Order: sequence, then structure tokens, then C-alpha cells
Amino acid sequence: MKDFLKWVIQFIVALISILLISGAPLLIAGFQKGEFLWREYFEALKFHVVTIMNIRELSIEYSTGRVFKEVAVFPKIIEYMTYSLQLLFLALGAAILIALLGTFITMMFKERARSRVKLIFYFLESLPDILIITLAQLMVVIIFQKTGFLVSKIAVMGDERIYWLPVLCLMILPMIQLYRLSMITFESEERQSYVELAKSLGFSKSFILFMHIFRNAIISVFFQSKKTMWFMLSNLFILELMFNIPGIMLFMYENISGLLFLITVLSFFVPIFILYSIGEWYFIRRLRRGEAV
Amino acid sequence: MKSVWRQPLFILGFGIISFFLVGSFLFEWIFGSIPKQTFFIEENGRAVEAPPISPYWNHPLGTDEFGYDMFAKIMIGAKYTILGAMAVAALRMFIAVPLGYVIGTYLQRQRSWINGIIDPIHYVPMTIFAVLLLSPVLWMPMEGFTTTVFERVVIQVVIMAVITVPIVASLIGNEANLLYQQEYILAARTLGASRRRIIIRHLVPQMREKMAVLYGQQVVESLIVFAHLGLLKLFLGGTLVSYDPMFADPPKSIAYEWAGLFGNSFRYLQGAPWLPLAPAISFALVILAIAAMIEGYTRATNGQVNMKRRKKMKYVSEEVVEWNQQQLKEKLVLLESNKNK
Repeated sequence: MKDFLKWVIQFIVALISILLISGAPLLIAGFQKGEFLWREYFEALKFHVVTIMNIRELSIEYSTGRVFKEVAVFPKIIEYMTYSLQLLFLALGAAILIALLGTFITMMFKERARSRVKLIFYFLESLPDILIITLAQLMVVIIFQKTGFLVSKIAVMGDERIYWLPVLCLMILPMIQLYRLSMITFESEERQSYVELAKSLGFSKSFILFMHIFRNAIISVFFQSKKTMWFMLSNLFILELMFNIPGIMLFMYENISGLLFLITVLSFFVPIFILYSIGEWYFIRRLRRGEAV
Repeated sequence: MKSVWRQPLFILGFGIISFFLVGSFLFEWIFGSIPKQTFFIEENGRAVEAPPISPYWNHPLGTDEFGYDMFAKIMIGAKYTILGAMAVAALRMFIAVPLGYVIGTYLQRQRSWINGIIDPIHYVPMTIFAVLLLSPVLWMPMEGFTTTVFERVVIQVVIMAVITVPIVASLIGNEANLLYQQEYILAARTLGASRRRIIIRHLVPQMREKMAVLYGQQVVESLIVFAHLGLLKLFLGGTLVSYDPMFADPPKSIAYEWAGLFGNSFRYLQGAPWLPLAPAISFALVILAIAAMIEGYTRATNGQVNMKRRKKMKYVSEEVVEWNQQQLKEKLVLLESNKNK
């Protein structure tokens, strides 16, 4: 119960801090003119809260030529959100799966080979995402020019949805990060005495890996994966821009304002925060009971 | 500690970075700050190619859509991008390191709360955060900028440095807190060392290597955010926007920094792939160089701490030490003689 209360407080604190950030551009604009616009700042915050409460009536001003049109945002924005979240979680799932699979395979190698693989991945990890997306799109273009076969669309037109190429681009870097992370944890776990014991009892390497090391290492991988998540959100933003994907982030960028920033961040923050809290709660409970073998 | 200069990886990384940095200044000094412009290529008296010209020996990276040489643009722009990222990372470390030590030392009890407050920042993507805060500064308003280029660069560097200070500070705080559980620090505390002394004598030298690695990572992170901002047409030092309704130029970067080169040419990916690829690969090269430097540095230090030689205690002069030794000798002689009796 106390833990739950603490969780609620943390959640509220997080909401408030995101709200405070959403008004910050006003302060910076004021700072440039040498004024401190604190009254306007709080007005803006109040406006944000009120609008979020009746989000159904929210509308955005579009300027088509000289005519300003008020366009209601509400039903459309849910579609944007779901598309972005779909991409994010598909990529995350794929990244976790492949990273763990890769870890299993590499752990079967000998130490020397492993250290070489690790060095290669260390350098791959530091490739910037813009290069990966650029190269992926270029590759599709070249394949199309050479063979006339369109592997995937590289830009979204209108309301259609493309999945596998963006997911692939979004997945690569987090996958490498998670792979390196889980390699480190698996290797440090491998040096524990219980693994030696299991080995001396004659269990096979793959059995020990899966039944013992995996169960313990996954907890620490989970707790450290938050940083990967953070990194992925930035990548998603760039991805939506480069593929012209009608997701929430592109929508926010096209009509940038503190209010839309707030909506966008919340639409990611709420599901991810709840997911991570459940995960933490589950793993900590398992640790306390000593169920982890 | 083995010298970092014996690590091939470190030298490789250092070489690439200094090539870009030194090369950038030299290039501008020799060839001037305006890249060579080629309007068309003639072959047997006939124009065969108009800009953007594809790469060939005279223009190793091709030219842009106005005929300016890409290689020259990359070289001239290198210094702004690299120095900018280094400045952001340096300022960030400068604020976050003392803060982290304070969190790890004086606020140990409150640490879980502080972490709880800082944690939600993990859900705000860095690039979006930067875009939100920097658009009012960098995007030229209709009536022109009210700030100078230098002011904008300073504001941008400060904002980019500050937004991740909480995360870096809490990271350092957690690391410092881990060190507090070490036995030698416990021993120092038992002997009555003040917290300030523990920070200066133990935490700082013990964490020096980690801080160097962290600095490298921060430079990489700032480079990536620069690249992202470039794609969003927010360039280092501001974006010149043409509000001419008829013949509006595309948004322009003030210097030839790489983020601007990439952001402005991304739409030419299909027609002239060398335009976005050249800055993107340059970004990747610099980032790989820093990664190589970090790896070489870690291998050289390899967990060993390079403590400076302890200064001789001021309170204990040579004579006192000698007197002590004499006393000890005499006592020993006494002991010996007693034994012999």
C-alpha cells in the first residue's frame, strides 16, 4: 500500500514536471527580450490544463493561404497516437527478441571470439540514426532503380500506413544497445559461483544459460533498458520526419506549441510509465520472494 | 597507467578529430570562407552536367544545387559542429559533476526522492525537448533576429547543456554513492575525514576516468542532437528564413555547419545522394572517432587509478620524523638488551 502511494506521488510529480516544461518556451522567448514573463507563463500552464481536460474540443488553426481554418483535432489525434505507439512497441519488441537471441548465440562462443564480436558491436552502436535511415532509404531506391521491385515505400502519402521498413530502421540501434547491455550482464552473471556449480554437476551450457543465467540477468537488463527507451523516443521523432509518417510526433512538429508538446509527451509517458512500473513491481516482488533461481 | 598514446584505437580517433578540426581552420585560412563554385561541366565545348554535380576528381564530394563544392563546405563547417558539441558537453559536465558529488555526498538520504523526480525526464525525448526550447531562439521571426549570432550560439549551447544536467548529475550521484560503500572510504570516515575531504581526496581521483568516458559520451550525444535539429531546420547559430512570398529561398544555415548541410539536402536523397550522405558520413566518422578514443582510453587506464603523489604532510617536518626514528631505534636497542639479559 505504501509502495502504491509512493507510485501515485511519483506519477503526479512527473505529470507536474512535464507540465512545467511545456510552458518553458514562453520564458525563453521573454528572456531573449530581457523580460521575465512569469504571469504569462502561469496563464499558459492554466490554459494547458483546461484544454487537456476537454481535449475533445481542442482545435488547431490551419492557415491555407490567407484563410485561417479551425480544425478539430480530436478524432484524428488518436489515430496519430496509435500509429506512433504501434511503431514504437513493434520495434521495441523486435529489438528485445533479436538482442536476446543474439546474446544466446554469442554466449555459446569462446571468450576470444566474443571479445571481437563485442568490439564490432561497440562501433556499430555509435553510428548515428540519421545515417542508418538515410542508407536504408537509399538502398530501397537503388534496388528499385536496378530491379524495378519496390521493397517498401520510403515515404508515406496521405493516410496509408507503412510498417516494416520504419520498424526495421527504428529497431537497429536499440537492438545493438540492448545486445551489448545483455552481453555485459550475462557475462558478469556467468562468473557467479552457482554457474560453476551447475557446470560441475554436468548440466549443458545451453541449459544453464537458459534456465539460470537468463532468469537472473533479465532483471538487470530490464532495469537498465530505460535509457534505451529514452533513446528510442528521439529516434522515433526523426524517423517520423524522414519517412513522413503521420504519427503524433510529426503532427506536433508541424504545429509546434507547448500544448501539443504536452499532449505528445503524455501520450508516450503514460503507457510507458505504467508498463515500466508493472515490470518493476513484478521483478522486485520476484526478487523479494527469492523465486529467481 | 599505460600511456594512451600507445593505444592504436585512441590514436586513430584522435587523428580523425584533429584532421577535421585542424583541417577546418587551415582550409579556411588557405582557400577562404567561400567554397569554389562551378556552374557547369564542359566536355568538348558542350555543357554535360549542371549542379548538383556528382563526385569526380575535381570535386571529391560533388557540388550542391548551386554549384558550391561539398568538400569545401564540409571542411569549413567541421569546426563549428565539433567545437559546438564539445562546448555543450563541457558545460554540461561542468554543472553536473559538482552537483552529482553533492547529491552523492550530502543528500544521500534524499537520493531516492531525487531520483524519483529526475526519472520522468527519461520519457521526454531529448530532441523534442530541444526543439521545443530552441525554436523561439533559432527560427528567424518575420521581422528578423533581435539577437546576434554569438548570443544565439551561447543560448543554444547553454540550453542544450542544461536540459540533461539532471540526468547526468543523478548518474554521477549514484556512482559516487556506490563508492561510499567501499572500505577505504569507510576507513577515511572513521579516521575523521570531512565530507569535503572525501570528495577531493577520494571521489575525484577515483572517478576521473569515468568522468572522461562520460564526457566523450556527452559529446556524441550532443552531436546526434545537432544532427536531429539540423533535420528540423534548426541550425547552430540560428536559421535564416526567407519570408519572400514569391522567390523564397529555403531556410539557410548561417555557417556551413554539418547539421545545416544535412538538414537542407535531405530531400535530394534520391536525385543527388552525395548531398545528404557527405555530412551524414562525416557525423558518423567523428562519432566513431570519439568512440575509438573512449575505447582506447579505457584500455589504457584499465581500471587503475592514477593518484598524484601524496604531498608530504606539512605538519610533520623532517626533523620530527628523524627524531621519531631515533627514539624507535633506542627503544629497540633497549628491547634487545633486555632480551639478552
